[in-house]
Amino acid sequence: MLNKLALGGIRSRFRDYAVLFSGLVISGAIFYMFMALATNSEFIAKNAPVTGANFIFMFGAVLLAIITLVYIVYANTFLMSMRQRDYAMFIMLGAKSNKIGQLIFLETVLIGLMATAVGVIVGIGLTVVTANILMAQLHAPLIGFSGFYLPAVLSTFAFFIVLFVIAAFFNQRRLLKTPILQLLHADQTPNRIKQKRIWFIIQIVGAVVLLAIGYAAMIYIKFFQLLAIPLALVTIVAGTYFLFNSLFVGLIALLKRQERFANKGIRMFTLSQLSFRIRDYTKILSVVAMLFALALGAITIGIGFNHEIPLMASSQSKYDVVLHNPSTNLIRQAEGLTDATKVSYNQKIVGENVYYVDTQVKAHPFLVPKVTGLGESTTRTLNAGAINKDDGSAAMALNEFIPNAREVKTPKVVSAAVFASLKGQTNTIVTYRVPDFVQQYDRIKALVAADDKANKVNTSIPMMNSKFTAYEVINGMFSGLEFMGFFLGLAFLAMLASTLMFKILSGAAYDKSRYLMLQKVGVRPGLLRKSIRQEIGALFLLPGLVGVVHVLFGLQLFRTLMANPYDRIWIPFTIFIVLYALYYGLTVWLYQSIVINKQLAAK
Amino acid sequence: MADQPVVVVDQVTKTYGKPNEKQYQALKGINLTVNKGEFVGIMGASGSGKTTLLNILSTLDAPTSGQVTINGQDVTQLRGNQLSDFRAKQIGFIFQDFNLLENLTARENITLPLSLQNVSARQARGAVDKIATTLGIKGVLGHYPTELSGGQKQRVAAARALVQEPAILFGDEPTGALDSTSARELLNTMETLNQDQGVSILLVTHDPFSASYAQRILFIKDGQIGQELVHGDKTQEEFYQEILSTLGTFQQ
Repeated sequence: MLNKLALGGIRSRFRDYAVLFSGLVISGAIFYMFMALATNSEFIAKNAPVTGANFIFMFGAVLLAIITLVYIVYANTFLMSMRQRDYAMFIMLGAKSNKIGQLIFLETVLIGLMATAVGVIVGIGLTVVTANILMAQLHAPLIGFSGFYLPAVLSTFAFFIVLFVIAAFFNQRRLLKTPILQLLHADQTPNRIKQKRIWFIIQIVGAVVLLAIGYAAMIYIKFFQLLAIPLALVTIVAGTYFLFNSLFVGLIALLKRQERFANKGIRMFTLSQLSFRIRDYTKILSVVAMLFALALGAITIGIGFNHEIPLMASSQSKYDVVLHNPSTNLIRQAEGLTDATKVSYNQKIVGENVYYVDTQVKAHPFLVPKVTGLGESTTRTLNAGAINKDDGSAAMALNEFIPNAREVKTPKVVSAAVFASLKGQTNTIVTYRVPDFVQQYDRIKALVAADDKANKVNTSIPMMNSKFTAYEVINGMFSGLEFMGFFLGLAFLAMLASTLMFKILSGAAYDKSRYLMLQKVGVRPGLLRKSIRQEIGALFLLPGLVGVVHVLFGLQLFRTLMANPYDRIWIPFTIFIVLYALYYGLTVWLYQSIVINKQLAAK
Repeated sequence: MADQPVVVVDQVTKTYGKPNEKQYQALKGINLTVNKGEFVGIMGASGSGKTTLLNILSTLDAPTSGQVTINGQDVTQLRGNQLSDFRAKQIGFIFQDFNLLENLTARENITLPLSLQNVSARQARGAVDKIATTLGIKGVLGHYPTELSGGQKQRVAAARALVQEPAILFGDEPTGALDSTSARELLNTMETLNQDQGVSILLVTHDPFSASYAQRILFIKDGQIGQELVHGDKTQEEFYQEILSTLGTFQQ
């Protein structure tokens, strides 16, 4: 009978359960996706030649585990907020409390197990899809990576079962220790929170000072060296907490005191909801802000590396394709390059020297990179005089003009007459430059492969002298990092947004009576919807803004690794903000459908 | 215009359940009138239909048939935002469980209906101070509802209901959650409001003592108005006894 009652409870609140369940599935899926990477040490070893990749992943796994824990706690609170009344009713009807205890335990663990199982299946699917998309985007076969990875499945299950068993014990204890009456009337009654002015001011000052120290540590990383990261982490976490606990509370109080502003429509109510919320939400908002920063940072760095690769490759060579004695077929194939600038040179190799014709060089001086910094280079034009007086750098740069080059030869520019008198075979070298290397990657790859084959180049020992080989080598090195950046970023984003969503939704049941009351006294439903949009908007926006500011300063850390970490940051920011906004929209929609009643008289 | 009744209920019925399902008729043709400045009580046992009637009067629910006119407006014709606005401007509510917003102070709670009509902050302040003085809660305006006693909470609720000067004040068992002293005080205040300020009041209750403050009492039973008592020149004690004896026979 009791089981029937419990099931009946689930059926009657099917939508709430659907929200809870899908949230748990998402968290299970994300955890699995991450574990599929993190537990696959073979993959990490092959794709992240940077030392410490394992460390980065362990760090990521710990962070993800912590946020998953927080998430499960909130999801669990949401579950309990739905169930406690039913359970109290059963106890009141005479159900034995240990029987109820069993029921709670069973329900929590069952929901958890089912969610984890579905989550792992979804996770495997998502892993395959994202991996394929990313691999295609990054031109990088990720060696040793597979959607289904048994250790990941096992660790996901182990982690979630432990979490849910703990949650079940927690629920059981909480329900059975709380007096029944309190369970039946578990309305949240906010009290006036007294805060000493001095403490308030200390917190505001503390927030500003701590954040300033943290940002300074990241900007002057050269000075602080290894100390910068732990210093920034501690000060920024504490600063963020104080910021939410004092500054934002203060701001809302200030707004409330502006009678002209506050006494319009239900602004006063919205502000009061927020000010009570924010105190309750300080911790979660700080965590969300920090994770927002980490996730956005990870994606930005991932995309940053992606942009960096062609830049690094072009500091190796300014020609996108160089063909050596191409056949007419190959030339025709090369016509397929879009907007390409084609220049041909004649060449003779005699001993240690490589000869070019001065009229050709005069018409089209050689272009070589001049490296000015990490991943930064300018184009230097080499005319005949510069080549003949060269210190050896031109020789290096022009080495890619030599068919099947295995050693550096000295370039010389001579008149047509002298060139004609030289012994040896005349080579035709055709160069192409295109506006966007990555866009035409596939065509370039085919051309280079055909050229290598025609010239019998041993590709198993790559010579990093052409742009294409440079790109391949660098891409191989960094694509693993990019992939991890994307993965970590998206996983964190999904988790933090879901956590915030559940925290907000778990309060919705308590807010129901307030919104009903407002509707009864004649507040238009449209106005209530607006109020909800604004209130939840603030809860999403504040940590988002703080997170963005953290990232803008945090990118300073990467100045030593990348030419310009701020290059094209609108791309990751846009992706991130769109996804975050989707979560916001979903939360508002769910919240509104919980608290705004169509039937006023029924309650 | 002065003679126009505040509330006119004409042949109102309310049937629950869809036509092809089992139906239950909660109201079976109710007629009643509340005149301007009147204090009317509606009494009835649980299940008599008094809550359904109040929900329909206060536009929270729509009747199946019949007409409800409040201050000259047929409320059954109102839809959506019109309904919300009508409730905000014309109807004041006091509920049994106060229904105050516990995250707003007493002053903010009372100001809310004025804010909805975009009354200027200065005007609102004046109006709130005035009604708070009338109801004797001037001293607790800065408190949150959790810091107030039951009687004070209900006065704050009454102030909120009256601050926009509605056409009628509906009370749904307003003394139900109060101790006897607070209940008596609240009823005295309502009587004063009615007599001195001319506030029209419709009080739904099953408590004979509360009802004895009314000028006229309508008894509702099984969805119909069965009997009517008029206070007239009787003392409150006499009227109270009359209610008690009517209840004794009416319920049978």
